Amino acid sequence: MAIQTILVINKSGGLVYKKEFLNGGHRLTSNEYLVLAGTLQGVIAIAGQLTPKALQITKNSGIKDVTDQETLVAYAGPLGILESQDMGSFMLPDYFTESFKSWNTSGLKHITTDQLSLFVFQSLTGVKLVAISTQNSISNVAVSIAENLLRKVYCLYADYVMKNPFHEAEMPIKCTLFDKKVAEMVSRL
Amino acid sequence: MAIYSFWIFDRHCNCIFDREWTLKAKQSSGVVNSKQNEDTAKLLFGMIFSLKSICRKLGNEDVSNEIRTIATGKYRVHVLTTASGLWLVLLTDVQQKNVSEVLHHLYGEIYVPSVAENWLSPIDFAEKEEEKMGQGFRKIQNRYFLRAVEQYLSPMVSR
Repeated sequence: MAIQTILVINKSGGLVYKKEFLNGGHRLTSNEYLVLAGTLQGVIAIAGQLTPKALQITKNSGIKDVTDQETLVAYAGPLGILESQDMGSFMLPDYFTESFKSWNTSGLKHITTDQLSLFVFQSLTGVKLVAISTQNSISNVAVSIAENLLRKVYCLYADYVMKNPFHEAEMPIKCTLFDKKVAEMVSRL
Repeated sequence: MAIYSFWIFDRHCNCIFDREWTLKAKQSSGVVNSKQNEDTAKLLFGMIFSLKSICRKLGNEDVSNEIRTIATGKYRVHVLTTASGLWLVLLTDVQQKNVSEVLHHLYGEIYVPSVAENWLSPIDFAEKEEEKMGQGFRKIQNRYFLRAVEQYLSPMVSR
């Protein structure tokens, strides 16, 4: 899975961080990325509204649906983590080693097209992390791997962006350490 | 596998067919061409439309980069677009991986023979100019089409 782009979208739908990893190929202008972030924010809101009636009925009648258990994301191993690596304020061997709950239950998660797939990770505070990969696999394994990766990026965000006194909330992220760490992690994939 | 609903949109941005199943246990449950689903159809159309325009920009421009699936935590949307601007949209559960063959069958073996090759059925479901801007209300009412869709999709509703 080659990651093409990683984006961070704040809770009001603005693009606060974008990084491209692949050289060459088609490039979007920064303006187009801003539009993309805004559109994704809108689609995430709409996708929740579109829940099929069949699911709403099973939910109201209290029947445990299969999808309720599916919100647990399996731990996918030490992706992009080296032993004896500087982990910031996290302890080795990895940022987390257990499966975790996905906060994104009804919103948009994964889009596939003929060439790419796009993964969305949502945090409880409304920050959305987006990864665009050049593999158009539809499998649920790819989704869980992407969610693992994005959760690690979120750990980096918590470490190097939130603990930066010069960073203003909801403003574009300009932290070299965060930049460097994300690039390192993606290059090891 | 479970199928939740099936939609067809024409090139004038109108929903010309919708079928929603509401009870997994009962294959004949739900609604066909319902007025209540008009708003849902518009939301669904809008979601696919905006994601399509994003994807067109994101991909390599030499090759087509059409959207295939959109997954949320609860359901998955599968889309088949034809060159004539028809969209066939199927909502299934998240476990369902590839239903492109199902969509191709619905288009090639059901829509084309019963609607496109049917002289009594309108080819274009927007008859007046003002219906061509997403304001249309005409649906596929063809009995043969309705029955064929039902026969083909119903066994998959609760499988």
